[in-house]
Amino acid sequence: MLYKYLLKWLFGAIAFLLILALLRFQPWQHLNSSLWGETSQTRIESLDVGFLPVTCHLTCPVTDYASRTSIDFRFDSQRYTDFPTMVESIRSGRLEATFMIVPLAMKLREQGVPVRIVYLGHRDGSTVMVRPDLNINNLQDLRGKRFAIPSKYSNQYLVIRRLMSEQGVNPEEINFVELPPPDMPGALSARAIDAYFVGEPFAARAELSGTGKILYHAKDIWPNFISCALVVHENLINRRPEVVADLVRGIAESGEWAENNREEAARIAAPYFRQDEAVVRHVLTRPPDRVSFQMLTPTDEELQRIHDIALESGILDKPVSMQALVDRSFIPEVIRPRTFNN
Amino acid sequence: MSDKLIHVQNVSHSFGNTTVLENVNLTISRGEFIAIVGPSGCGKTTLLNLISGYENPSSGSISRNGKLRMVYQQDGLLPWLTVIENVGLGIRHLRDAEEKNRQLKDAIELIGLEGFEQHYPHQLSGGMRQRVELARALTGESDILLMDEPFSALDYLTRIKMRNELVRLLKERPRTVILVTHDIEEAAQLADRIIPLTTRPATILTEKRIELEKPRSLTDPIVTEAVHDLLISLSPGSLPATEKTGIKAEEN
Amino acid sequence: MHQTGINRFQRRVLPLAVLLFVIISWYIISLFVPSNSVFPSPVDVFFGFLEEAGSGRLANDLIASLFRVTAGFFLAVFLGIPLGLWMGVQPFARAALLPTINFFRNLSPLAWIPFAILWFGIGDAPAVFLIFMAAFFPIVLATIAAVGNIPAVYFRVGSDYGMNRWEILKNITFPAIAPQVITSLRVTAGLSWLVVVAAEMIAGNDGLGFAIWDARNGLRMDLLVSGMIVIGLIGVILDRVLVQLTEIPSIRWGYER
Repeated sequence: MLYKYLLKWLFGAIAFLLILALLRFQPWQHLNSSLWGETSQTRIESLDVGFLPVTCHLTCPVTDYASRTSIDFRFDSQRYTDFPTMVESIRSGRLEATFMIVPLAMKLREQGVPVRIVYLGHRDGSTVMVRPDLNINNLQDLRGKRFAIPSKYSNQYLVIRRLMSEQGVNPEEINFVELPPPDMPGALSARAIDAYFVGEPFAARAELSGTGKILYHAKDIWPNFISCALVVHENLINRRPEVVADLVRGIAESGEWAENNREEAARIAAPYFRQDEAVVRHVLTRPPDRVSFQMLTPTDEELQRIHDIALESGILDKPVSMQALVDRSFIPEVIRPRTFNN
Repeated sequence: MSDKLIHVQNVSHSFGNTTVLENVNLTISRGEFIAIVGPSGCGKTTLLNLISGYENPSSGSISRNGKLRMVYQQDGLLPWLTVIENVGLGIRHLRDAEEKNRQLKDAIELIGLEGFEQHYPHQLSGGMRQRVELARALTGESDILLMDEPFSALDYLTRIKMRNELVRLLKERPRTVILVTHDIEEAAQLADRIIPLTTRPATILTEKRIELEKPRSLTDPIVTEAVHDLLISLSPGSLPATEKTGIKAEEN
Repeated sequence: MHQTGINRFQRRVLPLAVLLFVIISWYIISLFVPSNSVFPSPVDVFFGFLEEAGSGRLANDLIASLFRVTAGFFLAVFLGIPLGLWMGVQPFARAALLPTINFFRNLSPLAWIPFAILWFGIGDAPAVFLIFMAAFFPIVLATIAAVGNIPAVYFRVGSDYGMNRWEILKNITFPAIAPQVITSLRVTAGLSWLVVVAAEMIAGNDGLGFAIWDARNGLRMDLLVSGMIVIGLIGVILDRVLVQLTEIPSIRWGYER
């Protein structure tokens, strides 16, 4: 009796799992393509490229979108929700190309993970927001206030450190707290913090809802500020240099195109981000130079400057050589805007 | 084969340093109804376990002729089996399905639980459960019934009813019975031979025979006299007593 | 009337009334919060739900989460119950393994996330692994405890009626532990559902947990709340399904005492 019932349940459960597996992996799609005469030889190769759903990484989904129509190679943008998971994926060798903040790439290199910066993702694109009810016009007004940053390893922290020394504010005079970027607009409107510095669109959200006021754009503090770079594992460079070159060209052309087709770029990228298209559009267009997708070749001096601040603020324990870190050999000489054949 | 079904010879048993049974000798013949009585913890159940072969004696020997069945105090029914499945345990190796069904039907009729075949033990009253236990023990081939306090979990009136039920069942299905009980009344009403065990280490001092047709009335003078005698031999000075059984003996 | 408790009509209506009350209060509160990006109203959430359902993301996330939780949970059940049975009947195995199992049981499955990513990458495999880690040890321990709780008299009955070791395992031990094991399955299934959501938040690129995490990162509180509601509803349905196991006639006894 008991076993009869349990067997029934067992079969029911196995059927349930099988149906779920079928729905999940949809094997008929592969079947379909093989029925249509496509063999494994013509199967499209692909490379996963990691990114976070921030406006700074816009060129990654755009490149994904552009390569969908490619007949021989696809770049699949893999959305991550945080940098630690991304780092673990790189360490395990499952992710070989990704967008990443520059100090983190240096930290990885310092720890012996052979990654190289081959290109930049964007320039500028971060914003300092303050409470509109406080009369704050510079960093001196922020003395004794609570200032949120994404993390001590973030480039925003490095930038604000540099600006503080320019304005003569000591590091201990501002009360820094680490906060996940999505919580920053809410914390500001609840007055739990007085200011924050973060990549878009987490600043634009507060701006649009009127609960935050822009104090500085990154470009005002540090023109052509480098935040994120395209980081590639040396394994991929050694194994498939042509794929890396393709990727860099794709990012460059996507950036060139997005620079001048901002509304269209917002429309393409919004579904990749699960964000309001209106917010993405706002970030890209008001003002247009809030974030820039041009001049993406990093110079040694620029990176060295970030490196030195990172070393000084204790993010890096020992110096990292720029020769080992940067590889500019994949950057195309001429960059044409990407054309879309859809 | 002789008519001596059970032969207990010079058996002593101890758990660690505690001697529970000392030099017990007992012979039981076919068709006899033996009751082993004594205060709780005196070693009655140990003696039953030794007879059933569940435990081996520290010294001495026990020989058994014939097949044994055990009736437990309570919850000896397997709760995940229905009444009919529980009763069928004793004949589960029977190949002939027709014969099996016939025997099961007989057993259910015997205990008057028609209509309850598909019930589970937890859906029955305590008395009904004990009847199912009896039916299970009596179904299939067996010679000896070992009963360990079979009615002690029941209320008083049900217990008295179950004694008559047991007598009736044994008339239908004669078995040699060894009943372990602390209920002297029960022993006096049911047994042909009553063996009182002394306190630990238990040994057999006397035995009392009751030669009276069954079913016996609880108030039959022979029964009440036997209760009286047993009380005195088990617990001298307990009469007149405030104990339940003592009062009843006095009332009669 | 008062003593007899509640009738069927009340049983149906009362929960709905509470639900309605919660939704109306929620709506009223949301009227006083200026920005729906901080506190979405039920209407926002409803349209968010339609957006998710319409785009096909909801179906995809739902299937992903259910697949992971089912696969991980099955793995835990089919390895955990036999191991628990074995440890339950073999004092040697129990003595050797119990401390280790207890140790792992006390680790939050979420602590394994970095290793799950390192070993299995991102996607189905790490989530299945984490669910397995969440469900396996409690199931093993519950099975061991259940075996320990079997009254000795059942085994005696088994040997009285001439069962061999295999028959005792099949006809006594297993049926005797079934009610307790099923109770633990209900608990661990709920636990697995909690863990899948948490695991997808970190080591996923789809699934309901990822969906609400992603909605948070995308500052879409309406999608976040609609995801929360779907997760809660599925959890309730999973338990309703598993509760049917306790209705099996030869298991019912375990819940009637």
